[in-house]
Amino acid sequence: MGEVILTMKGIDKSFPGVHALDHVDLEVRKGEVHALMGENGAGKSTLMKVLTGIYSKDSGTITYEGKEVEFTNPREAQAAGIVIVHQELNMMNHLTVAQNIFIGREMMSGKLINDSKMNEEAKKLFRQLNIDIDPTEKMGNLTVGKQQMCEIAKAISHEAKVIVFDEPSAALTEAEIDELFKIIRDLRDKQLGIVYISHRMDEIKVITDRVTVMRDGGYVGTLITKDSTKDDIINMMVGRVIYEDPKTESTVAPDAPVVLKVEHLNAGKMVQDVSFELHKGEILGFSGLMGAGRTETARALFGADPKESGEIYVNGKKVDIKSPMDAVKCGIGYLSEDRKRYGIVVAKSVAENSTMASLENFMSGIFINKKKEAKIAQEYVESLKTKTPGVDQLVVNLSGGNQQKVVIAKWLVRNCDILIFDEPTRGIDVGAKSEIYHLMNELVAEGKSIIMISSEMTEILRMSDRIVVMCEGKKTGEIDISEATQENIMHAATLRN
Amino acid sequence: MENFKNSPLVKKIGFNRIVLCGVLLLMYIIFAIVSPTFLSYSRILSALNYAYFLGFLALGVTFVIATGGIDFSIGPVMFCAALMGGRLLVKDGVPVIVALLACLLVGFVFGVINGYLVAYMGLPSFISSMALMMLAKGVGSVFTQTQSISWPQGTDPNGLGWFRNLIKMKVGGVDIPTGLIWLLIVAVICAIILNNTKIGRYILCLGSNKEAVRLSGVNVKKWEMIAFIISGTLAGMAAIAYVSAYTTVTPSGGDIFNNDAIASCVMGGTSMSGGLASIGGSIIGVMIISLLQEGILAMGFQKDYQYIITGIIVLLAVFADVRSRRRKN
Repeated sequence: MGEVILTMKGIDKSFPGVHALDHVDLEVRKGEVHALMGENGAGKSTLMKVLTGIYSKDSGTITYEGKEVEFTNPREAQAAGIVIVHQELNMMNHLTVAQNIFIGREMMSGKLINDSKMNEEAKKLFRQLNIDIDPTEKMGNLTVGKQQMCEIAKAISHEAKVIVFDEPSAALTEAEIDELFKIIRDLRDKQLGIVYISHRMDEIKVITDRVTVMRDGGYVGTLITKDSTKDDIINMMVGRVIYEDPKTESTVAPDAPVVLKVEHLNAGKMVQDVSFELHKGEILGFSGLMGAGRTETARALFGADPKESGEIYVNGKKVDIKSPMDAVKCGIGYLSEDRKRYGIVVAKSVAENSTMASLENFMSGIFINKKKEAKIAQEYVESLKTKTPGVDQLVVNLSGGNQQKVVIAKWLVRNCDILIFDEPTRGIDVGAKSEIYHLMNELVAEGKSIIMISSEMTEILRMSDRIVVMCEGKKTGEIDISEATQENIMHAATLRN
Repeated sequence: MENFKNSPLVKKIGFNRIVLCGVLLLMYIIFAIVSPTFLSYSRILSALNYAYFLGFLALGVTFVIATGGIDFSIGPVMFCAALMGGRLLVKDGVPVIVALLACLLVGFVFGVINGYLVAYMGLPSFISSMALMMLAKGVGSVFTQTQSISWPQGTDPNGLGWFRNLIKMKVGGVDIPTGLIWLLIVAVICAIILNNTKIGRYILCLGSNKEAVRLSGVNVKKWEMIAFIISGTLAGMAAIAYVSAYTTVTPSGGDIFNNDAIASCVMGGTSMSGGLASIGGSIIGVMIISLLQEGILAMGFQKDYQYIITGIIVLLAVFADVRSRRRKN
């Protein structure tokens, strides 16, 4: 490790209602790989966005190469030598590799673009990095791993001195990761400062020199990687006080029948051989870090996305779910994590949304019985305490929590026995949140069964009877609530195998 | 003004539609001043001739636009149906009623193909309807050996012209615009389908957020396809109205009516991005365009002026739509 190249000190940033960063420190030296770790929503990405000028900080200082700096946009940061390699690659698939690398600063001969010169330059870059990629290849024909290498080459071509890798390995294969690490070590030896954001504990041990841990927008501490254990890091990541009382034991009757059994479900990279059972009256929590494949599992189970293999049993009977239509017929309802896109039709009324999944029960002959529809919608507005001026109100005019209640009403009107709640309280204020918890408890008391996907540890520990933990498309743990702790959940969530 | 806008009756009808009715009335007054023949009954009947077939086209395409799609095949499909039905009647000597049913069938078949391509094969409706537009032109033309087809006149000695009574019937020496009754009945049925049946409900919802509707366990493909079938079948009905009014159909035409039909819908408040549709609005739009085309001709101008004015009205209607949408967000 060389001298300090970048120091972020006391960085503070608030958004309306959220204290996103609370006096966070980060120090990067030349020739080091510095891991930035933390749970979902710990503030890692926000910190990097402050660094590169996407967000402006409220207070704190950024010192880069001995001078205090404040970038107002990523272009400025890039010009100064700070580059982020994003998880989602910003590449144009129809252009060649070289054209992508030099986009926005094309080499010209007169008024025309000089492609052969750019190809030459790209070739030089790749040689420098020991990468074997043809600059004239179309970007879309490369694997994700190779595309990422191009992104790195692009960063190098900007004469980067600090490169931030935002979960670079998430989409890579084993071999590609090895190659990536080789390049990262190369860059380190060339005295670049590298920030490495990842959830993968094993990688952190392999590639990084120091680790800075963040939690709930705050700075927890910095460790020397080789002197610390995996458990040290996990403890730093989760060591938060849980305000709400966690559930201490399952409320499911010991002889409760299995209502849903999923066996060896496979759907792409994100769902690999997932098996689990859901009992009547149970809330089965699905925990894991971002990109663990929980939503993908739910969508494959629900028939929203095609599955490759696997068997599903509802109430002991094998069912063939090919589409959401089939799933709904089996009594399964799905509340999406992205309410606006997948949950509600915002331009339609509360009543119309409430009966969306069960319109056939509200027909008089070929006509929709709008009176009956309004009546049932009103009933659920009252029982779910949805705040709306009336059932003919357009859903777009309701708050997030109330929109969520309309989606719940849709599945309750359909009388689904198995409900999948995907991040049910995301973007919902505290009051509505506890109402939704209360409602979920009422539902299971009535004998319905719930799969609850949640990225909030407190929510998982408070609501679940049993917890399935996933990591990178695989089930890595199943923990009864009586034995669940933040530590053993996080341990399973970062388990890589 | 605000009071007027917020009164319950105005809200029920829709402020924009009331404005449109005002535009329609104003246009009529202007035409009547410039060319007093407009006060005559026959002039109005003549304008209505254009409104009948255009009305059926616009009603049909309203359903497709409500899904968020577009149908550029309706005009040529109407002509194709009229040519094929006409040939069966004139050359092959089938009974009139069979020829009329053939028109509906041709429209229906085109609707099924279009709907299948869009809903089940995932083609953009822009592309699929464009392809069907060319297909319809070509097929109609081939079927009649690129000859014009003239359906029988009302004075046909064999009494084959009875179908023309569908749009205009002489009762005691007075012309009764039966076509208007026909159009309005179909419009009312369309309004009921759109607002009170599953078909309309799901079409409007999927036009607004298809994925949310699919994830509610609804067979979105089926309902999307039905919208195109309605559009195609009504294009077949438009063919009957067209030959009843004008009798002669020329091959490989009809595309200009696409624009008039789509413009009518947009004027009437049907949103091109889907999810919002108004049958009443489409009918008012049709009346405006029909009156305009009759008026422009009556004043001795070229048809080009009709396009200019239609273009301006459509732009204004779309502006109003976009603005009200932005205000909501």
